[in-house]
Amino acid sequence: MDTEKLISESKARFAHNSAKAYLKEKFQAKLLVAEQGGLWKADTETIGFLNSFTSEKVVLIDTFDNPVEVNRQDLLSTLTNTYETVMSEWCKEWQELETKR
Amino acid sequence: MVQRMARTRNKTLNRGVLVFAFNTDKWDYVSMAVYCANRVQHFLNLPTSIITDKIDSKLEQYFDQVILVEADDSNIKDHEVWKNKGRYQAYDLSPYDETILLDVDYVVNSDKLLKTFDLSDTFCCHNRTQFLMNEEAGQEMLSSYSFNSLWATVVMFKKSERAKQIFDTLRMVQENYKHYANLHSFVAGTYRNDYALTLAVKIVNGHLDDPTDFIPWNLVHVGKNTGVHADFIDQQIPDAPPGTLLYNTEFTVIYDNWKRGKIRKEYIKLKDMDFHVINKEHYVNIMENK
Repeated sequence: MDTEKLISESKARFAHNSAKAYLKEKFQAKLLVAEQGGLWKADTETIGFLNSFTSEKVVLIDTFDNPVEVNRQDLLSTLTNTYETVMSEWCKEWQELETKR
Repeated sequence: MVQRMARTRNKTLNRGVLVFAFNTDKWDYVSMAVYCANRVQHFLNLPTSIITDKIDSKLEQYFDQVILVEADDSNIKDHEVWKNKGRYQAYDLSPYDETILLDVDYVVNSDKLLKTFDLSDTFCCHNRTQFLMNEEAGQEMLSSYSFNSLWATVVMFKKSERAKQIFDTLRMVQENYKHYANLHSFVAGTYRNDYALTLAVKIVNGHLDDPTDFIPWNLVHVGKNTGVHADFIDQQIPDAPPGTLLYNTEFTVIYDNWKRGKIRKEYIKLKDMDFHVINKEHYVNIMENK
């Protein structure tokens, strides 16, 4: 299937809002990390919270609403790496989509 | 009666994917299962076993185990036989300690499903969906006064007492489907695994929800009236052994958007994202690179 031809012949327009929703769906799932007995989302809130502590251990509520005692630095490192990788992919793909008309 | 044909393999079976595929007059589900198994091998690096009802020696080259059972053809959908019953057998028939039970019309297009093994020690499935290009579509319910539907499209389970309870209860619900349909005010005419699974999980949980039962991302559907096409053909990699394919990961999704009484065709491009194709014709077109 020549999809470019299909798009051109059917005069289909690129749906920016749907593309935005699809990217969000795709990358939100990639931000999830299972580590130290909990499931975590590598988001700004969790990373910021972990950064604000200095103790070695901290208790956090994971995405399943369970309190889990974690090694703060290890989790921070994993979540920061995941965040950087996923968000940079997300941004790159979004920039590619933004150029489509 | 269950009969197993397995390739000789040395590695210990631990994790794998299980699919049910019973051909009907209209649809070749076994070919869909082959397509699905090839993508599972490529993206997840997991073996796939098939549960089917017809002996075919060719299947052994595609599947880890070919498990023969008798199909239950008592279910009717759109005036055609739909052999979707018997999914409860997955627990007993799975050769794996940790299994992803997958619908054959689910396009594996990334390694995302591997994460499901980290989510629960017993069982998990989807409880939320998103329709591509129709983001405002609501969540399906069994009926207006009943539960939100769970989805049997992707189910991860590990051999455990709790998972066994869920599958045993699934059997009980299947065998008493009319009663549950009456109780929950949905139409019993066509048996649906999604509804039976919803009820089974609810019963096992004492009608409460356990968040670890739910995969924490949406099951992405391509709706019945949404077109989906592969952008490239799965191609043989030069100089690699025959059958070693470079898999297409990019798809175009086209949708007729009704606005002010007019149809406007709209599209998006997908890359590296799994999705479930509701329209079988579209799925076959993808398989056949049409």
